[in-house]
Amino acid sequence: MKKILVIDDAATVRMYHRKILEDAGFEVDEAVNGLEAFEKALINDYDLYIVDINMPKLDGYSFVKRLRESENIRQSPVIMVTTEAEEKDIDKAFEEGANFYLVKPIKPDEFLKFCKLLTGMPYE
Amino acid sequence: MNSRDTLKNESDITLTDDDFEKFREYFYRKTGIMFDQSKRCFVDRRLIERIKATGHNSFKSYFIFLRFESSGKELQNLINALTVNETYFFREEYQFQCMVKRMLPEIISRKRSGDIIRIWSIPCSTGEEPYSIAIYLLEYWEDIDKWDVEIVASDIDTNALEKAKKGVYSERSVQNLPREIVKKYFKYLGNRYYQICDDLRNSVEFVRLNIIDTKETKRYRGFDLVFCRNLLIYFDDLSRKIAVENLFDSMNPGGFICLGHSESMSRISPIFKIRKFPEAIVYQKPLEEVK
Amino acid sequence: MPIKKKEGKVEEIKGERRKIQRNFEGLITQLSSKNPMERRWAARDLVDYKEASKYLIEQLMKEEDISVREVIISSLLRIKDEVAIEGLIECLRSDDAHLRNSAIEALKEIPEEVGPYIEKLLQDKDPDVRIFTINILESLRHPKVIKWLIEVIEKDENVNVCATALDLLAEVGTEEAIPAIKKVKERFKNEPYIQFASDIALRRIGEQ
Repeated sequence: MKKILVIDDAATVRMYHRKILEDAGFEVDEAVNGLEAFEKALINDYDLYIVDINMPKLDGYSFVKRLRESENIRQSPVIMVTTEAEEKDIDKAFEEGANFYLVKPIKPDEFLKFCKLLTGMPYE
Repeated sequence: MNSRDTLKNESDITLTDDDFEKFREYFYRKTGIMFDQSKRCFVDRRLIERIKATGHNSFKSYFIFLRFESSGKELQNLINALTVNETYFFREEYQFQCMVKRMLPEIISRKRSGDIIRIWSIPCSTGEEPYSIAIYLLEYWEDIDKWDVEIVASDIDTNALEKAKKGVYSERSVQNLPREIVKKYFKYLGNRYYQICDDLRNSVEFVRLNIIDTKETKRYRGFDLVFCRNLLIYFDDLSRKIAVENLFDSMNPGGFICLGHSESMSRISPIFKIRKFPEAIVYQKPLEEVK
Repeated sequence: MPIKKKEGKVEEIKGERRKIQRNFEGLITQLSSKNPMERRWAARDLVDYKEASKYLIEQLMKEEDISVREVIISSLLRIKDEVAIEGLIECLRSDDAHLRNSAIEALKEIPEEVGPYIEKLLQDKDPDVRIFTINILESLRHPKVIKWLIEVIEKDENVNVCATALDLLAEVGTEEAIPAIKKVKERFKNEPYIQFASDIALRRIGEQ
């Protein structure tokens, strides 16, 4: 089973992503900020990271930057999640090492499509 | 009030599944501790105790009180009630293993011969931790004879410090220790009490300190290794942040700090680097000050 | 015995003290030192000077070292005068994600002081600022919090601003909010996330 780490400081958002992913057969883990995400990524193997940008302690970009610079963490794909107003920051996301981005609020179908794509799962 | 009324009051307060989830998410956000369903009984019981103790008769009213209480005292009481905090020798031993196997070798690789290694135990409480560190080093660190080690032990509680200096412990406190170690480093006082041998008692420095007090903490410098276990979790957010920043300043670049096993820097501060070793996850002050 | 107790009191590190003047002017100069450790110490020591806010904010906006930023913020939070608060609010608009988010976190720590600014911020033309303001509300103990959140979900046109308000209502919402939540569900009929978040909020409030 493919394992995904959902990183967002809003509990409801994490719940929403979790529901969509679990219903589709993924295993889901959560983190409330980039620091916690980094700790979990050090301990566990994830096939995909879903990363919110605005979070306390360590924001999304900083997390991706640290992730990509780390030699001890599996370099799985990253989907950056942003709100409309921050599209100008997309370039920065790719610079730091994200593979894709989605704009909030996320629609389940689109979300699933890209999660399956980036984890090498077939999309029916 | 007849006995039937009393019985009714006892079972009056219950938590719905939604109450539990709401509480769980809040507690997770504040502390990083996530209670899964298996802990439900434990959490419910403690929560209901706190609800009653604060004079509320429903989870709803208690939660509003908890969330908005500006002093954060109730949250601290709750954390106390929900975390088990007992001190004894060789508690969380895997961190001591990590100390001798991984952290110390790295630390000495950056030192010159003749340099001293400084270790800080804060809070030291009644001394189990600093003495454990000393014993562990003497028994299990292969390079102990090549280096001078200074152990400083601090706490805000002067009563605890007095007890620590006396070094008298119950059987329960030493029960984790191998028998040979008890024989070697303790004298039996009778009545199931043991006292740390004089040599060790005289080699740990005990000082009173409030880790949040930046002025006091400023005077402590040059630490290579800090044990700060099960203290920060009891502070409010701002105090925790300040405590961690004070600790950062007290450490040498490349120095390590260990938190309690259910604690994490993820709720506190991004200034430390996280290091994963086979035995433990610890935090490190960055080596170079860039820019 | 290789474990040695240090004789006498813990010594101060004399070197660092002699080199730098520990008065206000000296500290301000040190705040722009090339050495991050010196900048951090200056930020730490400036907590004693109310006039320091302006300089701390200035440095915060260009500071690249994370440990210095964190200590600057701690000092600002202890000083917490108007200059500090307004400076932190200004940081909400920064292009630097780390700075923005540190500012949100910081403002959450001083709910009483930030209260008077909330209403105006909730009307800000930048939807991100409105979102960050709702984030700050999370720690606010203010009789108007629920009313503010209700107003947001009734009137704000931005779906993400409403979504953020719903997330907070799931935790602090009361029955008062129920009609507004049902209305926002209607308003954003085609947004699955809003449907989901509204249902969670209603459930947590005890409606379903």
